[in-house]
Amino acid sequence: MPKHVVGVDQPGLRAVLIGNEAVARGAIEAAAQVVAGYPGTPSSEVIETLSLVAKDFGMHVEWSVNEKVALDVAVGAAIVGARAMATMKNAGTNWVMDMFATVVYGGVSGGLVVYSADDPDAFYSSTEQDTRPLAKAVGVLILEPKDQQEAKDMAKAGFDYSERFELPVFLRSVTRICHSGGDVEFGEIRRSRNKVFFDRHYKLPFRWNVYGPFKYGGKVGPTAKHAWQLERIEEIKDFVNRSEFNWIEEGEVPLGIVASGIGYSYVKDALAKLKPDGWPWILKVGTPYPLPEEALRKLIDNVDKILVVEEGDPFVEEQLYAFMKEYSPEKPIYGKTRRQLVLRYGELGIAQVVNALARFLGVEAPNIPAGRRAVKGEVAKILAPRSSALCPGCQHLGTYWGLRFALIKAISKFRGRMKGVWIVNGDIGCYEQGGYGIFAKEIEAGEARESRRVMFNNPYEILDTNYIMGGGIGVAQGEFHAGYRDGPIVAVAGDSTFFHACMPAIANAVYNKAAITFIVLDNAWTAMTGHQPSPASGVTATLEPARRFRVEDVARSLGVEHVWVVDPYNVKEVEKAILEAIETSVEKGVPTLVVARRECILQVVRRLTREGKELATYVVDEGRCVGCRLCVQLGCPAVGWDRERGKAFIDPVLCVACGLCAQVCPVNAIVPSVKGKTLRDYVG
Amino acid sequence: MVKAYYIMIAGVGGQGTVMLSRIIGDAALMRGLHVRIGETYGAAMRGGAVHSHVKVGEEIHSPLLMEDEADALLALEPLEGLRRGLTYLKPEGVVVINTRRVYPIDVNVGVAAYPPVDRIVDALRRLGGVVVAHDFTALAEKAGTSRAMNVAVLGAFSRVIEGAETPFDREVLVEAVKKRVPKRWVEVNVKAFNMGYEVADRALK
Ligand SMILES: Cc1ncc(C[n+]2csc(CCOP(=O)(O)OP(=O)(O)O)c2C)c(N)n1
Repeated sequence: MPKHVVGVDQPGLRAVLIGNEAVARGAIEAAAQVVAGYPGTPSSEVIETLSLVAKDFGMHVEWSVNEKVALDVAVGAAIVGARAMATMKNAGTNWVMDMFATVVYGGVSGGLVVYSADDPDAFYSSTEQDTRPLAKAVGVLILEPKDQQEAKDMAKAGFDYSERFELPVFLRSVTRICHSGGDVEFGEIRRSRNKVFFDRHYKLPFRWNVYGPFKYGGKVGPTAKHAWQLERIEEIKDFVNRSEFNWIEEGEVPLGIVASGIGYSYVKDALAKLKPDGWPWILKVGTPYPLPEEALRKLIDNVDKILVVEEGDPFVEEQLYAFMKEYSPEKPIYGKTRRQLVLRYGELGIAQVVNALARFLGVEAPNIPAGRRAVKGEVAKILAPRSSALCPGCQHLGTYWGLRFALIKAISKFRGRMKGVWIVNGDIGCYEQGGYGIFAKEIEAGEARESRRVMFNNPYEILDTNYIMGGGIGVAQGEFHAGYRDGPIVAVAGDSTFFHACMPAIANAVYNKAAITFIVLDNAWTAMTGHQPSPASGVTATLEPARRFRVEDVARSLGVEHVWVVDPYNVKEVEKAILEAIETSVEKGVPTLVVARRECILQVVRRLTREGKELATYVVDEGRCVGCRLCVQLGCPAVGWDRERGKAFIDPVLCVACGLCAQVCPVNAIVPSVKGKTLRDYVG
Repeated sequence: MVKAYYIMIAGVGGQGTVMLSRIIGDAALMRGLHVRIGETYGAAMRGGAVHSHVKVGEEIHSPLLMEDEADALLALEPLEGLRRGLTYLKPEGVVVINTRRVYPIDVNVGVAAYPPVDRIVDALRRLGGVVVAHDFTALAEKAGTSRAMNVAVLGAFSRVIEGAETPFDREVLVEAVKKRVPKRWVEVNVKAFNMGYEVADRALK
């Protein structure tokens, strides 16, 4: 039996797959040979799934160090004839743009599918960015599935389309496809694999060198290749009129709906709910670029007005607007920007589509009776929030504890030289929760030019800035070079983020002499996205042993001379190292590095549980507890505060016996329960 | 035409909401129906709120429920059951709720209060129809592992829907459990399922 159902060679089999598993199955059916990506929710399950069955299909599947490298790898495979795919989340698509915009000048011989998972409503992302405009700017065919079945079918067809036009194909999904389950019927697995070959003059002279002396359209070099690409796009424009992923459903009333991707699924369910007397016309769009113009004309000819339903930007809407301007300027468009019926931010969602359709069709939307609303209002009063937090026993808690006290001490030490406002630049990973502000007080926006708020009492307000992967260490340098000297400048990042994006920035800091302190929280995994291996893990995506990279070795070779390596489960050691690192960077005017290394607690506990090992928990000795609440300030979800008794307590369900709270207790009131061993007893 | 059936599953990370939604999805496939399961996974972190929208029927396209659309609420944790029930449970919707609490950090640090579980159960009775409340975690422990709690809840659900027009029954759900659960855990899970069934049977009498 294959290790995942997507590896079962049984056409006609039906299984419930999430969209990403469906894309993986599509790649298998298409006999893809190389698949590379970088973890990013909601895209990661494509490679996670494929890595389980890669060997059965002779497929090379890798976690690359970042998305840009992943696309480079996929391009290399596709120009020697193989079928290749690169996977990424929306933010990752920004990273690949240089290669993406260039590979189209000459294209590929093997099919190349670029899979991008967008995240409307930013469930897992810094932005809601729609990546379709990026693919359109580059000039490639975009496929957008309506559900999991189509995600599989499009992934498979994407390779065929790509080979037909010798250009990459962009497969754009969204969270509600990627992470939703749906029944998928399996198709045939292609028996033949593409032959791998290299022909430097494949169909065109000097095909694979964008600067090659290739003549076309009266031009040479890149301009000639651009002319070649533009001809391909014309062919694609014609072809989408016959694509199986676009169709028209004829209606009974002169109202038209253009529904792209998952928008179509919402529209179908909404219509079933609203049951209008006359059914509208529907143009189902599977290729949001280029749009199927023949079908568009037919729709426009039969309706008086059009509603566009799509997830993300008004991308189809804008193209439709441009098209109608020529073709039928008098007919109105409804959507996200014109005669707005759908918000431009957040996800579409079924409720919004039902309401938009109700207004567009002039029927009544279902609503909740006032009496029931009132009951709900009453019941809601007892509801309590459940904020997201770092895991019980997370090693990042120890690092942030040490950082907080090191900053306070550094400020008092440099009192004469600094006004006292440090900046901690955040980055992307589990530790980004250091900026979620979990117990956030109501903070007023400051009118003053300088913020004097330096105190906080939990790890969830420690990050002052946060943007993108690898951004913190660069932003820190800008703050320094602008002349900011009111307090220490610190940046933090995780190990996966370090290899993804921090290495050039470190070289830059050394080269340009930025006096900043960089802290790498090395937990040996890409934890936040689901524990994919990173170069710090010592294994590959398919669990082959690999070189285990050490952050400090890399940083030293890039010229960082002052490096501390500490254990986040030793908060005194962390504090001391960070304080020294800050002092050294301020005194010597150079970047310094602290590596806080301990394997992700979730991975450790999972392993211990598998081995049948039992963990003790810590308990509060109430006789000794003086109610100072320092342990609560640690921010561990397992450490609680009993207001009535004025004592701390440890939640035995959540506690993993890491002992961090015992370390920060000034009166030794937190002790292991007698039953079982602590985490440190097992792993040191 | 089989009437479409909508289920809301609520819990916290690590309790097996995703597994439960897959078991129900498999049962629907065995009945030859279409399935959509709407989920967001949260980050890899433990203890966050999670919920699944499960839609089963002959013609289902999109993955999300609308307000007051859930025919059933399966609550693996009381507070999360209340949170999702409040939005999604329909007036006659049935509820199976595990009474074992998992405290949110907000409660542990004292900035919020955990509502008494009997008030949560009462609230769900006001919002929906039949409610079966029980410590299914303890029940699953008795069956052999607390991790079978989700399946014990499913067992209770299979009793609650007896006699109602739904795509499911006890047999198909047990089959689906056997199909999804790793081989060496099948026995324990089937036991938990049956114990859940008995709990609901007693509660409904
Ligand atoms: C460009 C880009 N690619 C991928 C992601 C998704 N992502 C979010 S957090 C994260 C993992 C960070 O891992 P690491 O830095 O090791 O920190 P940890 O979560 O392990 O603490 C990734 C890959 C992203 N936000 N941006």
